[in-house]
Amino acid sequence: MVKQGGIFLAQIALLWLIYQAGVLISSFLHLPVPGSVLGMIILFLLLTAKVIRLDWIEKGAAFLNKHLAFFFIPISVGLMVYLDLLKESGITLAVILFGSSIIGMAVTGGTVQILSKRTAEGKKGESAHEQRHSV
Amino acid sequence: MSSVTLFSILLTVAVYWVSRRLAIRFPSPLLTPVFSSTVVIVFILLWSGITYEEYTPAKDIMTYLLGPATVALAVPLYHNLNILLKKAWPSLLGLVAGTAATIVSGVVLAKLFHFSEEMTGAIAVKSVTSPVAFDVANVIGGDPVLAAVFVIISGVFGAVAGPWVLTALRITDPFARGLSIGTTAHGVGTSQMVVEGEMQGAVSGAAMGAAAILVSIILPWLFPLIQ
Repeated sequence: MVKQGGIFLAQIALLWLIYQAGVLISSFLHLPVPGSVLGMIILFLLLTAKVIRLDWIEKGAAFLNKHLAFFFIPISVGLMVYLDLLKESGITLAVILFGSSIIGMAVTGGTVQILSKRTAEGKKGESAHEQRHSV
Repeated sequence: MSSVTLFSILLTVAVYWVSRRLAIRFPSPLLTPVFSSTVVIVFILLWSGITYEEYTPAKDIMTYLLGPATVALAVPLYHNLNILLKKAWPSLLGLVAGTAATIVSGVVLAKLFHFSEEMTGAIAVKSVTSPVAFDVANVIGGDPVLAAVFVIISGVFGAVAGPWVLTALRITDPFARGLSIGTTAHGVGTSQMVVEGEMQGAVSGAAMGAAAILVSIILPWLFPLIQ
């Protein structure tokens, strides 16, 4: 139990180190990529290059992924400061923000679904079936 | 640690825990944890007279692992590398078309309602992760604080309504769903895609990163053109 917990914490510490590396490199090189996204790219490359083994981080990563939504809740609570703005122009803002989000979702999802179906059919429809399940 | 901070942390964790159980038991867009928890916590804070300023130390402690949690999205990405490589071209085209559609439609709608340039600029960056939105808003003359607000609203909207919108539009391919939500609703949308399925989460995380890079490169020259 204690050993398990120690391994788990060490895995999260390793992810934290990679995150810090991402933040440092991003600010040092003035990259247009936030440190967290750069850290994700770094970890991905290290996994692909087999420098980091999946089992070194898998448990910690699975836990953080599962509860990713939790970390956004305290940030969303920050909207309480803007309740007046949201009350004042709430409907107009909703039309603009939600409207453009829906358009973006439709165009992105539609483009990918149509194009990948076409590619799949070109390759004798091998993956057309596996695409339909698990929604 | 002050008692307000301790209370805020316990409250947030407890509300999240209950909202997660509820969402598993009764799957419904309005029970999406990031939305339902936020509403309940804001209500309790207002009711108990705690300001966001007093809540902020708790927020800083609780978001400490957001960075590492974003880094951890590399794992599902690694698991799904083959399919991502196979669909590299459709993905890239979808990403570019969708990002452009989100920006142009947001700016056109904002112009239609006679919004100021600071407001329009903040709307243009709303679909990307907040540090990038903040920086790019500054570059194009948008209000960075409003940008952060619109980023959160768009993210929560993507998490709550996104899956439903996609199903209504018959976008059922898990790969397309993940890419669509990651492109338009960054990390918050991704947190919901992770729950929907591993592939959706993986693609959404990758799309979030790619969209952040794309927007920071194209928006500074695209924005003056559509202004």
